[in-house]
Amino acid sequence: MMKLKFDFVSSAVLESKTRDKRINFILNKVKDGTILVTDGVMSPEEEMELIKETMRRVDEGFPGIEVASLKKPVSGIAKWIEKFSEQKDKVKIFFASLTGEKKVSKSWKTGLTLIGPAKYIKQVKKNPNSFSILTEVK
Amino acid sequence: MKFKFLDWIYRIFGLRRNIKIGIYGETGVGKTTLANRISLDWTGEEIGKVTGIPHETRAVQKKEKIEIKVNKKKILLSILDMPGLSTKVDYRSFLKYGLSKKEARERAREATEGVIEAIKWLSNVDAVLAVMDATRDPLTQVNITLLGNLEARKIPVIIVANKIDKKGAKPHLIKEAFPTYPVVEISALKGKNMDSLYEAIAKYARGG
Repeated sequence: MMKLKFDFVSSAVLESKTRDKRINFILNKVKDGTILVTDGVMSPEEEMELIKETMRRVDEGFPGIEVASLKKPVSGIAKWIEKFSEQKDKVKIFFASLTGEKKVSKSWKTGLTLIGPAKYIKQVKKNPNSFSILTEVK
Repeated sequence: MKFKFLDWIYRIFGLRRNIKIGIYGETGVGKTTLANRISLDWTGEEIGKVTGIPHETRAVQKKEKIEIKVNKKKILLSILDMPGLSTKVDYRSFLKYGLSKKEARERAREATEGVIEAIKWLSNVDAVLAVMDATRDPLTQVNITLLGNLEARKIPVIIVANKIDKKGAKPHLIKEAFPTYPVVEISALKGKNMDSLYEAIAKYARGG
């Protein structure tokens, strides 16, 4: 019987890497058959980059990934802090572009993300405040 | 909204800007059927082939300078029919449509390139029609990621709830899932409610 491996990785570990290294880290694990769970949510732009890089790596043994994420809803002062953080990111990205450093990305939001190999994750059912996954391992 | 200054210049000189509209969405939601419907309605010509096999559109298909008339106003559009967005492409899924292994592998390779191309085009469109199949669950990661990207890039978007002619279509679920976006319910195949879509394009594609 085949077994599924789950890796629970702190978002702090992922955020400490550059965007390219982070995507590489995620895809190396997932391509290896691991389901990765982390306590953060990447920006939509970074998720598109992840999809793009996944497509470059698709082969017969690796048909791609399944992603499910939940962003923690914020309100009041937390929302204000989030907006401030977004502005800070924009400034950071602007100055990085001046110095030619193109791979600086937006901070991750608080939440939950699961990324796994599509060959094992057969269905993702998302709701506004939860998600469930159905796996099949032959 | 994007290009507001350019719009202003164009209006002063009485010119009409060609608005590039990208048709985005998951595979099999009816993007090419919609592109064909828009093009047929205004030019009498189709843009692409519809076969029912996933990833039929594997490269961006364009129809440029389509002039549409809405409430006596003329709008110039370029329609860009994008390959379907997906997080996975498995060549084995094409075999059940009668393709040989070689053909299926080739289609899968082209499909992955198509997804990359569609994502790259996000920086070159003025507005997006995000097509969703009203018979499917709209709350998918691809739809959420697409809308998040458009919002971050400040690209105007209209959600098109397609296939409302089909039994089991639940376009209200799309409205409930994405309450902050304009949603137009249509059947691209039957040409149902297309006038509402053209009115929405006239309203939102210019940041109205």
